[in-house]
Amino acid sequence: MFEKLLNVAPIVLALVVATGCAKPPTEQIEAAEKAVADAQQSGASTYVAEEYAKIEGTLVALRKEVADQDAKFGLVRDYGKAEQLAVAAKADAERVKAEAEKKRDEAKAAALQAQHAAEESVKVTLDLVAKAPTGKDRAALEAIKADAEALKASLNQTQMAIDKADYQAAQKQAEAIREKSTAVSHEIETALAKIGKGKAAAKKK
Amino acid sequence: MHIYHRLMYSLGSGSLLLILTVTLTGCTDAVPQDVVEAIESLDRDLMDLRAAELSPDDYARFAHQWMALKTRVQAEDDLIHWPWESNELDLSLRRLYEEGVETVARITDQRKALGQAAERKLTSVEDRFHILTVQVRAIDSRLVLGQQLVETDLLVKQARAFFEEGQFERSIEASVKAGQMLTSQTDLLSSELGRYADHERIGRWQQMANETIAWSRRHHASAIVVSKADRVLTLYKNGQKVLSYPVRLGFNGIREKRYQGDGATPEGRYLIAGKRGQGQTQFYRALLLDYPNEEDRRRFQSARKTGLIPASKGIGGQIEIHGVENELAAQTLGCVMLENAHMISLYDRVEKGTPVTIVGALQEQNSVAQALASLGQRNDI
Repeated sequence: MFEKLLNVAPIVLALVVATGCAKPPTEQIEAAEKAVADAQQSGASTYVAEEYAKIEGTLVALRKEVADQDAKFGLVRDYGKAEQLAVAAKADAERVKAEAEKKRDEAKAAALQAQHAAEESVKVTLDLVAKAPTGKDRAALEAIKADAEALKASLNQTQMAIDKADYQAAQKQAEAIREKSTAVSHEIETALAKIGKGKAAAKKK
Repeated sequence: MHIYHRLMYSLGSGSLLLILTVTLTGCTDAVPQDVVEAIESLDRDLMDLRAAELSPDDYARFAHQWMALKTRVQAEDDLIHWPWESNELDLSLRRLYEEGVETVARITDQRKALGQAAERKLTSVEDRFHILTVQVRAIDSRLVLGQQLVETDLLVKQARAFFEEGQFERSIEASVKAGQMLTSQTDLLSSELGRYADHERIGRWQQMANETIAWSRRHHASAIVVSKADRVLTLYKNGQKVLSYPVRLGFNGIREKRYQGDGATPEGRYLIAGKRGQGQTQFYRALLLDYPNEEDRRRFQSARKTGLIPASKGIGGQIEIHGVENELAAQTLGCVMLENAHMISLYDRVEKGTPVTIVGALQEQNSVAQALASLGQRNDI
């Protein structure tokens, strides 16, 4: 009897091992899919687009491996490789998520810095406008005032771009605003200087 | 063991060893490392080309295949194949490599074409913007466009910044938007200043000027005609041109006057209502006009009723032909300004009641019409 059991034991053991590897690693697959979704949420497709495409590719390979194993006869199914792929996909996705968040934070920081510089520049422009004469001398500055108001309004658009997390557009816009407001400030200073010089010359006469 | 048997045994072992050695040296690694490195190099090229941004489907196809093969590469890295065994992984890798080379070539061409398209659009819109800015300054119509000129300027700058960073699609997007704004602004200028290119309107202005000149002839008196587009004041005596001087207008002078403080120089038939000599005006010498006249009041009330003029705005007044207080001032609040030397010359030749006719233009080919025509030709982006 005991000898018969010994003869059968290897077969039973083999069956146990086979069925142990015969179930798809559902938990690991779900974890991998969630990690890829999290990476997408972090802006991976924007900030690390190629890396994101690769982790999507890994997910596709994983799903194919699972489908291939599912198509096999139960006893010969082996989801070992699928499990490895799922674990690797999760790890890669977490790495890509971290990279995306880092690049997104860098882009945001750059946009905020540019926005701050633009706001400072526009403030200088508006302060100069406030110095504009209100009498008959104001003619020289009337046209320029509209430019200053336009720059102030454009700062709102920069904030909207930041709110939408379009940091690249926000940064470019803020840099353009700073450049333009510097030019407008110079124009105002030139006009104010002309007014001052003209009045001084008139007094001398 | 007999020597013969020893000899046969040695020969057999040696042959077996020889066969084994030859066979093993003919074996190949399951994973061709050179192909793997070549594919990784292609991937780096695609990343440099920003393939995922430029051609997402192409890059996704490459990346998905590469990732699927990469898992097999990792699994079979230490395997070898017999020489007679087919290596499916090797074949798949080589196929991916060939497709990758084609993909790199295709995306390189795509990127080059996109870059050229972006540069064309950017150059065109920068050129149009420059021309618009020049023309607007030339005809003093900055206020006609208000804040729009700045908005366009900012967009053009952004388009250039995106282009310099190789973000061609975003550059094109900004260029196209700027181009649309330029077209809209050109249309606005045409709408606001189109009368300067209107044959009938110019005809009416010419008639007004001719009637003023005819009055001068009939009454053997002086009369003044001002052309805003030409920025010229002409004095007639006995219907003959006596002098002609350049003038500066309001900061919004090119437009029709609507209300107090709009900076426009009025158009119409006026009379000199008063003269202010030196010491009586801050502007050296001044000729006060009888603006607003009846026609001005009628037009103002009509515009007020239709809501074109805010209720808080008055019709204004104090429109003069005057000299210069600040020689560096380029514009007035709506008056007609002459150099002081010219003002002296004019002042002594006119009197209270002298007609002053201010028109938009006297020629069809005036500066404003020409500016509008030039801008209209550039709406081609």
